[in-house]
Amino acid sequence: MRILMDQALNIARMLITLLLALLIGGVIIQLSGKDAVNAYQVVWNSAFGNDRAIANTLLAATPLIFTGLATLVAFRAGIFNVGVEGSLYVGAFAAAWVGFTFTQLPGTILISLAFVVGGIVGGLWSLIPGYLKARLRVDEIVTTIMLNYVAILFTDYLVNGPFLVPGMANAMSLEVAPQAQLARIVPKSQWNISFFIALAIFVLVLLLIWRTTLGYEIRSVGTNPIFSRSSGMPVGRIILEVMFLSGFIGGLAGAGQALGVHYRFVAGFSRGLGFDGIVVALLGRNSPVGVLISALFFGALRNGSSSMEMFTQIPRDLIDILIAIIIFFVAIDLGFNWLLKRLVPQTITPPTIQPSTVD
Amino acid sequence: MDAIEVLSNVLASTLRLATPLILAAMAGLLSFQVGLVNIALEGLMLTGAFVAVAVGFIIGSTWVGILAACVIGALLAALFSIFVTDLRANLIVSGLAVNFLAAGGTAYLIQIIFHASGTFAPPELESLTAAQIPILSSLPFFGKVFFSHTPLVYVSWLVIPLVGLFLYKTPAGIHIRAIGDDIEAARTAGIAVRKMQYLALMLGGGLCGLAGAHLAVGDLALFRENMTAGRGFIALAAVYFAAGRPRSAALACLLFGLFEALQFRLQMTSSTPPQFFQMLPYVIVVLMLTLISIRKEWKKGW
Repeated sequence: MRILMDQALNIARMLITLLLALLIGGVIIQLSGKDAVNAYQVVWNSAFGNDRAIANTLLAATPLIFTGLATLVAFRAGIFNVGVEGSLYVGAFAAAWVGFTFTQLPGTILISLAFVVGGIVGGLWSLIPGYLKARLRVDEIVTTIMLNYVAILFTDYLVNGPFLVPGMANAMSLEVAPQAQLARIVPKSQWNISFFIALAIFVLVLLLIWRTTLGYEIRSVGTNPIFSRSSGMPVGRIILEVMFLSGFIGGLAGAGQALGVHYRFVAGFSRGLGFDGIVVALLGRNSPVGVLISALFFGALRNGSSSMEMFTQIPRDLIDILIAIIIFFVAIDLGFNWLLKRLVPQTITPPTIQPSTVD
Repeated sequence: MDAIEVLSNVLASTLRLATPLILAAMAGLLSFQVGLVNIALEGLMLTGAFVAVAVGFIIGSTWVGILAACVIGALLAALFSIFVTDLRANLIVSGLAVNFLAAGGTAYLIQIIFHASGTFAPPELESLTAAQIPILSSLPFFGKVFFSHTPLVYVSWLVIPLVGLFLYKTPAGIHIRAIGDDIEAARTAGIAVRKMQYLALMLGGGLCGLAGAHLAVGDLALFRENMTAGRGFIALAAVYFAAGRPRSAALACLLFGLFEALQFRLQMTSSTPPQFFQMLPYVIVVLMLTLISIRKEWKKGW
């Protein structure tokens, strides 16, 4: 009951944050000499106006569900993984590689293999900063950001070098085998079944966090690292597992885009899907349900903003400004929670585990 | 081209490329010393780059643009300070917000104001011209390496000792370091914590504005979306590496500048794919952060 109340309260806060951001965004549009009401109408119509619009919103939300969950898993363990973008790139390439290399395999197997390989490669990539943090205590924020650039450049090299397709105008890999191309659901929309894979991962993350030992350890390390360490939890190992998992989900995001949208790896295709995942996780207040809702919201915004740019000449970069406003609100709120904890320390219940090694 | 000339070219561009890093690192250092990790350097720099070009173009003076970049950088840092100090916002998360605001805001504004997308390069706007230092610039080799730069390069050299003096010799600087050491003790001792945090962050914002201005109008005169390309984070890494000491931070920036210069150089002459050279500065940052951590753990008795 208490959890349900908390959830409802979280969702209410989230909606208020969104409304405020949209309101400020409206003011910015007006100040730019455009009509805010009209702009939002265009966004609404092209995000929800008909079947195809809704499909495109779900299409845009799909990678954000993945990257949001990937970020969330790390956040829950108190790790600020900004490197989902990098995992997404290497994962997308790996999945595309499987897709255009093992062309004789039947569809289901090929698709599963591509996703698993994409995930594993994404996970291994994120183990680099994970290992540095777990074993050498290198702060993960800067390393993960740096490694994003490396991943983007490295995959760019791959499709310009060893996997160069002669005669192609843009840097991209071969097309994946037809049976590896994910089925699309609505005519004239790229919305594809990777959306349902994202939903499956959502359920798995939910189960992981609340029903498994690792989930328990993640929550414990995230809320109270010192206590967890002194109570004998293998914090280093947990960090490694979490970083692998986070990168794995990030890699799946890349696989979904490669097999479902582009049918190949395209250099520089993401343009910040991983970063949007951070915002999705923040706005979703670190709960999987919150991530799902905010991914859908951002999907609608991203999808609607293209039409907004086309019909009202308002740059779609407005969305990034809205995102900044939303993060500011979330940041205040996080600070506020911290303040509450400081003011009323007796209300927080420490994790109820028996310290196994008190020495 | 003979080897000496190549060397002097590489070294000269090292100093030029290190300039925005040094300026941003000094900004990061000020916040580091007041106990705040400044993730926002990147966004502050990007804003500076945009303002330098936009205001410089509108007013018709590059120097006014640079001044405006400083002022707006400081104001954006003030906004950041309001969130961090007064509203008790989460430091990392609001730094992230500043970066998103800068990336989105600048991309939005070049389209709204200048109807340009991606890159805005007004031909009317002049870039800074190299200030040849009399006599010294005609020295063989050294003249080219050290004394034939645009003014902001020299400014960055001045800023290093100035930040050192400020932090270690002035009352405000000493207060700032005291806060970084132990915020509660500083508060008990009657230091105006909030005011000092504002001061450190806003001075840093001004420096980041200058850093961005150098990127935008130092050599060319253009603004490109996300033209900072992670330099704010590289500067932050230099601060970590130097553990807050101005001279070491500047040296780290010079090292990053050298790798960047080599990257450009090798791209032109080598058959190795350019992406590997472009990766170099980022890989070096990760390696350096790893090294300092190893050193730290070593000291603690591994």
